[in-house]
Amino acid sequence: MKLAVYRKKSPWILHYNAGGCNGCDIEILACLGPKYDIERFGMINSGNPKQSDILLVTGPVTKRSRERLVEVYAQMPEPKVVVSCGACACTGGVFRGMYNCEGGIDQYIPVDVYVCGCGSRPEQIIDGVIKALDILERKTLELEVSVRLKKVPVEENGQVNRREVAAKIIHTQHTYE
Amino acid sequence: MGKQYEIPLGAQHISLLEPLHFKFTTENEKIISTDANVYYVHRGIEEACCTKFKFRQVSFVVGRVCGLCSISHSTAYSQVAEKLVNIEAPLRAKYLRMLVIELDRIHSHLLCLSHVAENAGFEALFMKTMQYREFSMEMLEAVCGNRIQYDFSIVGGVARDLKAEVAGMILQRLKTFLPQLDELVDIFQNNWTLSLKNKGAGAITREAAMRLNVVGPFARAAGLAIDVRNETEDLLPWKEVGFEMVTDTTGDVYARNMVRLRELYISIRIIRNIIASLPESALVTETKAFPDGEAVVRLEAPRGELFYYAKGNKTQMLERLKIKAPTFSNVAAMVEAFTGNEYGSAPAIIASYDPCLSCTSR
Amino acid sequence: MNKIETSVDSLKKDIGAFYKPDLHHFMVMNAVDLGDKIELQWFFCNYAFPSAVTTFYTLISPDTEVPDISDIVPSAWVAQAELADLMNINIENTKKGFVLEPDFESGPLRKKK
Ligand code: SF4
Repeated sequence: MKLAVYRKKSPWILHYNAGGCNGCDIEILACLGPKYDIERFGMINSGNPKQSDILLVTGPVTKRSRERLVEVYAQMPEPKVVVSCGACACTGGVFRGMYNCEGGIDQYIPVDVYVCGCGSRPEQIIDGVIKALDILERKTLELEVSVRLKKVPVEENGQVNRREVAAKIIHTQHTYE
Repeated sequence: MGKQYEIPLGAQHISLLEPLHFKFTTENEKIISTDANVYYVHRGIEEACCTKFKFRQVSFVVGRVCGLCSISHSTAYSQVAEKLVNIEAPLRAKYLRMLVIELDRIHSHLLCLSHVAENAGFEALFMKTMQYREFSMEMLEAVCGNRIQYDFSIVGGVARDLKAEVAGMILQRLKTFLPQLDELVDIFQNNWTLSLKNKGAGAITREAAMRLNVVGPFARAAGLAIDVRNETEDLLPWKEVGFEMVTDTTGDVYARNMVRLRELYISIRIIRNIIASLPESALVTETKAFPDGEAVVRLEAPRGELFYYAKGNKTQMLERLKIKAPTFSNVAAMVEAFTGNEYGSAPAIIASYDPCLSCTSR
Repeated sequence: MNKIETSVDSLKKDIGAFYKPDLHHFMVMNAVDLGDKIELQWFFCNYAFPSAVTTFYTLISPDTEVPDISDIVPSAWVAQAELADLMNINIENTKKGFVLEPDFESGPLRKKK
């Protein structure tokens, strides 16, 4: 099966507004239109999280949309890439610190590509999505490599540094490649 | 009586730009009652405008209430702040505000129409409308410097002048846009499948519109003549530049589409008149005063009447700012107009309301 | 702006006498926190040219129960539900939780002491 090839050629996009001002959403819509036309990269806007590879999120996370955001993210199959569109999705932007907002979507889900600008231009969004394609490819490769876990010796005194442990595991992975 | 089913639509759905949740109770495909949850995007802008930002900065913050009609919000706020500090914007600034509002109306209406076409399953028309819409985005970028979020109106006037080349470019592009608009009108009016899907769907009567206080194209399609451009003269001189009211009678999706399309012709006429008769004056009226007292402002945004209430207390911070967005008035009618329609046409009906939830919930 | 004072008891009578569906439309209900009192406002506007905004206002203390006007103005329930949440006031027939999530401190638009 050439599933990986097909998947790289046509990643499907899921768009979710987590409380932005619509500005970035209409730019995403403009990307789907004829002038910018991201369909030439094989991308189409699918409304179904179970069939999508790239999640485009706009807006600071509002209190009522945070569960839906995490739910949508959790329903997407691996490998998946998250692109945050616009200043307010990256950091909270102008809404940072307002009482019903969280500052940015990376407080709830891991973000791979940050697209800046308020609102981000279609060209920037396309750039971000192309970057996401590379990440998607890398993630797909990583999924294919089998992971051998080794027991990490427990250090006598002091806490386990999780970052170092993770780095070691990743290191072992790469030596297996 | 058949069995009743509850079908949810939203919060994430392909036909929705923003999170919006409807719960339809249906019986044999017919919707008999609807429940709406519209406050997914409540951010707390009103509170932040009174506690975090100074009153001159607020005109940029309220633009972020909604990306589709950000110029309406910042203009309405600038006007209400001008009333509080007792100044009047120069005439040229007023004309430039009207110019950008009308360009914005073109892009907003075309977006709505393309969305109706997409939700009715007419992908080719969606693409066509989006293609024709790009001209208004390019013109807005040429005038204001950004495709969305213009930050054009500031307290006292406008932030940028209109250059003569840009004005010439707008006139030229309008000339190519006019036949494209005729083509769109032809498709929306005469395409057989589209009108089968649209005629009679989501209808609302004039009496119901009046009872539920509907505003904007939604009301005008039902025959209720409400347009702020027709009702006030003091803040922006709409009638000088050739405004004319557009109404229809049937109040269904088809009538709403037609009202929007015919309003575009009025917008084009207004833009041409503004460019032809742009007065010479300063761009900003300066003042050192602080806001005091209370004031209200009404303005016609693409979706209907926008209302601002502000109260000052002689400091940099406002005491209270209340924003009433057009869709807020329409929520009650939106819920009612579904009754009796098929569930299958619900997405197209939602798109034809042109709801703007980030305005509604702020 | 034309301001008319009213009170919680006579509100429904006043608005019922004033409001004609074919002449006016109801815009929004608003509240301003003045410290110990809350000023409630109901904004109406007429359809004619030039239009005029009419405001009914009253001062209440935060725990007063405000009457529901949605039998006179059917679309008022949206504004009432929003205001009940944001200002944390009690409005007849209006449930809280329309705007804010239950885990949130109520009345964000009230002045912080
Ligand atoms: S980044 Fe700016 S334009 Fe984009 S959704 Fe946020 S506020 Fe709107």
